[in-house]
Parts: sequence; C-alpha cells; structure tokens
Amino acid sequence: MNFYDSYASINQKLARGANLHYGEDEASILPCDSRPLRIPRIGVYAGSGTSHSWLWFVELFDRMLFHDLVFLTEDMVREGALLDLDVFVISGGDTIGIAEGLGGEGAGQLESFIKGGGLYLGSCAGAYLPLKSSKLHLDRFNFVDIKIANLSKTLPEIKRLPSKASTVYGCDFVYHPVREAVRLRLTGRKPFMSKQSFLAPLYGGPSMVTGRASDVLACYEGFTEKTLFLVDETLAEKTLLGKVAAARTDMGDGSLYLFGPHFEHPHFTVANHLVATAIFWDMKRERINRKSSDGEIIIEGAAKKKLILDIKREISNARIVSVGLEAAPVKWTIGCKTYEPEKIRVFLEAIWKRINRLERSGGVSLHKGADEQLAALAIHVRQILREMKSRIDDRLDTQDLAEDLFDSLRRLTMLFLQIYFDSSGCSRPTGSHILKKTFSFSE
Amino acid sequence: MDLETGQISEDELDDELVGQKIGGVGITTWLYEAHKDSDPIVLGAGLLTGTLFPASALGVISAKSPRTGGLTHSPFTLKAGMELKYTGFDYVVIMGKSEKPVFLWLHDGVADIQDASEFWGADVWSTTDSIRKSMGDDLIQTLVIGPAGELGSDLAQICVNYWASGDCWGFGKVFGQKNLKSVALRGMGLLEIADPEDFVDQCFNVLETIKHGAFAGKNGVEDILTAMGEKDVKEWIAPFVHRHSACYNTPYPTNTFIYLDENPKTLTEPSEQEPGFLINDIGALLALKKAGLSAESAGRVLKACAKYGIDPTAVAEVTAKSGQKDLEQIEKSFADLKGPVSDPKAKKFSSWTPGRPLFSDFGLSDDSAYGDWWVRRQAVAYLFGIHPIFANMAPEISEELLIEMFNKGTGLTLSQETLDKAIADVCL
Repeated sequence: MNFYDSYASINQKLARGANLHYGEDEASILPCDSRPLRIPRIGVYAGSGTSHSWLWFVELFDRMLFHDLVFLTEDMVREGALLDLDVFVISGGDTIGIAEGLGGEGAGQLESFIKGGGLYLGSCAGAYLPLKSSKLHLDRFNFVDIKIANLSKTLPEIKRLPSKASTVYGCDFVYHPVREAVRLRLTGRKPFMSKQSFLAPLYGGPSMVTGRASDVLACYEGFTEKTLFLVDETLAEKTLLGKVAAARTDMGDGSLYLFGPHFEHPHFTVANHLVATAIFWDMKRERINRKSSDGEIIIEGAAKKKLILDIKREISNARIVSVGLEAAPVKWTIGCKTYEPEKIRVFLEAIWKRINRLERSGGVSLHKGADEQLAALAIHVRQILREMKSRIDDRLDTQDLAEDLFDSLRRLTMLFLQIYFDSSGCSRPTGSHILKKTFSFSE
Repeated sequence: MDLETGQISEDELDDELVGQKIGGVGITTWLYEAHKDSDPIVLGAGLLTGTLFPASALGVISAKSPRTGGLTHSPFTLKAGMELKYTGFDYVVIMGKSEKPVFLWLHDGVADIQDASEFWGADVWSTTDSIRKSMGDDLIQTLVIGPAGELGSDLAQICVNYWASGDCWGFGKVFGQKNLKSVALRGMGLLEIADPEDFVDQCFNVLETIKHGAFAGKNGVEDILTAMGEKDVKEWIAPFVHRHSACYNTPYPTNTFIYLDENPKTLTEPSEQEPGFLINDIGALLALKKAGLSAESAGRVLKACAKYGIDPTAVAEVTAKSGQKDLEQIEKSFADLKGPVSDPKAKKFSSWTPGRPLFSDFGLSDDSAYGDWWVRRQAVAYLFGIHPIFANMAPEISEELLIEMFNKGTGLTLSQETLDKAIADVCL
C-alpha cells in the first residue's frame, strides 16, 4: 500500500466512525501513541498574497482523503475562522503580501490559534511568515526565533532567472540559490522517526538557522540532476547544505512546522507523507465545537445537473483559451511575483479534474447563493481570458486583465473546491468507476 | 442535438454496438437509421480516429445526399476528425431545423448550440476566423458552410476550416436547410485504451514498417496525380508549390499548399495573412487542369470555391464543359451553378478518394478489379477512421492488422466474419 492509500484508509475508517490509535492497524504508518485518532479540520489559506501552490496542498489532501477542508481568505482569518480549525496551512506566494493582507488582526488570530493548541504548517512563503522580522507587516508575525540563511546585505551575482532569484527585503536581499528538486535528510526527531534521505522542490523557500526552541526535522543535504542553480554553485552549497529545511517549534499549546521546500508538492511522495504525519501528530488535541453550518443546502437532480454543466462549459471554454495563451510571449508581474500563462491552467485543472467526480456525487452541498456566485465567477474568468487572447493577438497590454484574472481564478477555484469537499460526504452512486472498454473520452 | 427545440441528450456508447458495427460509418449508419424520420446529419469518429495508429485522421459525415437522395458518407480529415474524437463525443446526431442561424460548439464533453446570426452570409474563411476569434482559440476545427449552403445549392460543400473537404454529396445544403452554419470542434480529453502499452508499441511498429513503403519520398497531390498517370502535373504546379502538409498522424502529406500572391520560395512569414491555398481535392485540380486552366488559375478557382463553400469538382466539371477560363466569370457562376453536373460516381463513399491503388498495386492484376476493391477499402477506412486516400497507398494497413488493433484497443474481440458483416452493412 502506498502512502496515499494508507492515509486515505485511515481517513476513510475514521469517517466511518472506527476507533483507531496511532501506530496501530491502518495507522501503523504513524508513530505510536495512546491517543485516539480523529479527522482533522484543516484550513487552507487561499487569500491575498498567495500564488497557486496552495493547490498542491489541496491535491495532497484530496489524495489522502483529508476532506474536512475550509478555504480561507484574509477576511475570514481576521473574522475568527481559525477557531473552527485543527490545522491551518499557508503555502507559497508573496510573503509580505500575505502578511499585509492578514494584518495585525490576522496575526493576532493566528497567534491565538496556535497558542490555543492549533497546528500551523507553513511552506515557502508560509515558512517565512512567522520568522523574526522587523520589516513592515512581517513584524506582526514574530512567532519563532529562526533566522533566514539565504539573506544578504548585498545581492549575489545572479546566473539565471533574475525575476525568480531574489527579493528585496528591507535594506537586504532574500536570494534563492536554486530551484527545483533538492535532496534533504531527516534528523530522526519525532514525529519523523527515520533518518532517511528524500527529495522536495525548492521554489524560493527559506534555508533556516534555528535556535534552541526549535526542533530540526530535516536539513538540506544535496542537489539533484534537476536542481537549477540561480547563483554560483559554491554559494548555493554554502547557503543551503547542512542548513535547516524543516523545523518544528512549540508555541503555547500548539506548534508550527516550517518547510523551506514545498513538502506538499504532489510529485514528492515521501515529503507528502511527512506533511500528513505532522498533521495527525500535532493537530489540535481537543475536539472543536464547530459552528453550525446555517444556510447550507444540498442540490440534487436537474438543478445539480444544470449547475455542473454550467461550470463545466465555462471551465472547458477557459481551458481551451488558456492552452492557446501558453504559446504567447507574455508574463505579468503581480505584487513581487512573476506569473506566466502556464499558471492559469493550474487553477483551471484543479477544478476540471474534480468536476466529473462532483457530477457523480449524490448531491452538491453549498451555501445558498454559492451556485450563482460560482457560475458568475466562471463566466467572468472565461470572458477575461477571451479578452486577453484578443488583446495579445492585437499586441495590446494585458496587465490589468492579468491582475483581475488571477484574483478571479483564485476566488473561483477556492469556491469550487469548498463545494467539492463539502459535497464529498454526499452519497455517491456505486459503480462510477467502471473501466470503459471502448476508446472513450475521459476527464 | 435537436436544433428545433434546442434539446441535447447524451448516451453512452454501448460495447455491444461497437462489437457489431465497429465505429465510424458503421455506427453513423446505425444512428442515421435510428433517427431517419428526423432527416438527421450524423457526425462520427472512426474506431481508431485520434489514436497513434498511422493515418487515424478520419471523421465521417453521414446524411441523405441532396444529389443522390440516398444515405451517403463524406470524409473529413486535416485535424478535424481527430478533434471530433477529442471533444468527447464519438458520434453526434443533428436533427431538426433551427429557427435562427446557429453553430454547434462541441468541446470537452459539452455540446452547445450557439447563435450564428452574425456569421450568416459570411464566407467560409471569415466564418472560421470569426468563430476562432470569438472563442479565443486558433486551434478550433470547423465544419462550415459558405453562401452556397445557405442559398440551398445542391453542390454546396461542408468545408473544413478554410479548405475543401470530401463532401461531394451536397451536405452543405443540408447544413443550410437546418440553419446550421458550422460545427466547431475542440477538445483536450484523453482516450482510454484497453491495452495501452501494447497498443502504442504496435502503432509505432506499424509506422516503422509503412513509412518505408512505396510512397516514401513522394509528396502532395502532384505525386498522387503522377502515380495515377498524369505525368505533367508536377511541372505544371511546381512554380506555385510552397509546402506539403499531412493530416493528423498521416505518414503521407496528401495536401499541397500553393502560394498565389507571394513568392512560394520564401521561407519567412508571409506579408499577407493568407497568400495561398491548400489543395486537397485531387480530382478537382486535375479537372481544372484538363479544362485548360493554368496552375495559378486553378488554384484561384479552388480558393474561390472553398470560400463560397461549393464542391470544386462540380465547378471544375461545369467550367470544363463551358470552356470558361475567366476567373471572375467562373466565380460569378457559383450563385446559380446547377449543372449539368454528373452525379458522384461512387454509391456511398466520396469520390474524393481516387478510384484506384496509389503507389502500390495491392496485388491487383488489372484495372477491372479496382471497383470492388475500392469500395471495400473505403468501407474499411471509414469504419476504422483511416485517412481514405492514405488507405489506398498502404497495403500494410491490412484488415487483419486493423482487427488486431481493434482487439488491443477495446478489449473486445472482433472476428473477420463480423468485419465482413459490418462492411456489407455499410455498402448496401
């Protein structure tokens, strides 16, 4: 059984009400502990400042059947949505943009959440966020005493991809020595009990130097054939090798896991397994009394069919345009991040690959009005894309459209995924995975 | 898809039907018969269409021909056959007449009926441009009619994107009668194959074998015509040839692109958006040559036919009979072009495919054997989705091989007897 199936099996058993313990039966993949396991309620931050990498967490959670998910914007965090959660994850993006969006109020909510026993998982930008900083907006998130090793007073010589190689950080520079897969080694600290070597991709995340209060879980050990050096190789070695790639810090009754590389990236099985282990091991210990889900409705039959077809139509139209845009010589800078046309389809595919599964579900669970909102957003995205294609063909500027597009894509994907995961409990007809014998079309 | 009511319904393709009728024209015929009372047009992909099997480029249109009054089948190739398969719809039955002009937009398992009022009256080229522009994608494939179809000419042709097709049956008129301007196709789906590794390996093996066949080193319509005995065609057209292009996954480039308004030897981007024409109708080109037109004039007539959406073979026949060589006059005659035009020679399958083996003799000893051989060979191509012209070049693509690919691809079992029956059914 692979890691994904193991975690899926645990979640499936728990959903059926089984009593499972750490290290036993299906949960033998986890370290032993006398506590009973329960399904974690996980918040995924998809608010301002995020790029597309929060969708990697979604992929991981979906594969492992962590289906009790809530997608959160900065407003929701500020309004106290973290109180309902066991785990809160922030992936990549513009760290300062995320900090600014959450603001002092969001920082306070996050601090209370962790101190109250919650688990925070931050990768890449999400790992930079709680590190010590005096920089505006970030200074509200000084939760852990970990230093950034890839910080310099002077900008090192950049060998390639200048737009990805560094970011101004106050009077200093955060530089990114390499991109793509790097080799890491576990230290054997709980809950990652082994000392195995494994791979994870680095896309601008930190190399860290920890203080006494933090456990080092994994260090950068080496590079791979796929590693792309953005600075001199010697400087890259000096900046990364032997430095901390993953750390765990206690804070009040809760804890933080900070991952420099994207442990949640769907191509890296062992790293994904570590994320899932961290979630089960350090999720909030006390069961949360959730707010009732007032206003939630289930649509079925013809209404469900129409909603799915409406969304499918618009997403298909949008995918078709976005594939064509991938050949266009354009890219956009939004905040301090560079967006290429290829990123458009990352959002659309996250919807597309799940829409047929939603179609096969017994019903669609959503809040009143969410169906109309979803359809309107999907139409808006398709309209922007067609306008964008037309302008690119006419060699006109598309920056304003790109800003609208990526924001709309984020909101559309977030809303769709919320509906998708909320509907996962709706009964599904059996026999929905029959292998077709003819040359038939599949999603 | 009922154009009258706007209602669309979908059915799963049944394994039993595939096991009996195979695909392509086998199933379009079955669907036609099932919906005969609604005077349907049926679009279909062959069993292998869109796969890696060599020359799996063919889509089929089946309908009652305004020219013969019987059920006939027209091939469509380039990238359109493949694209139909990838839309997620293997077969589409179009019934009824729309109140207003519409086009069908088939994409990724979604079938939409869209307003085409703004395209009505436009020629084939500008309609394809407009559809691609409005949908935001240059790779959309269109089956499209021009003014000839809208005005109800029996010689109206359904064109593919900008170019002629194998429609010699007047199906353009059937589209026009239904107020159907176009069917636009685009899909990004995947095909499920029962034994994918074995299937793909075998596709590459077949390609490796046939690419060294008798057609190796030959290109375009001019080499096909030369192989048919028209010795001076190559010199006639050579000054205008810009390039050759193949239909989806087809090892022989059956299409010749000529430049009419720019130097064909140029290798840079043309200064005009469209300086030439893609010739894919072998018979029409030959007929225009025999009518005494220069290669340039022939190219211009073919281009005008494609824009107007009219069968170029019929135009060439009328032109030859009238002796008219003035391009303007020929073009003016399109509006009320009626005849005398002879009926297409073949009973069911388009005479767009030359009526004899090409480059290879297929073991046929004399011309008298060509007739029955041609009908069977076309039936097989139309069932499996093989480019019908290429089918006549590659004896390596045998019925035995196609049965083997059927079995690997579907996981079902096809016998020679069942294939014989399927062929007989579509040849009736």
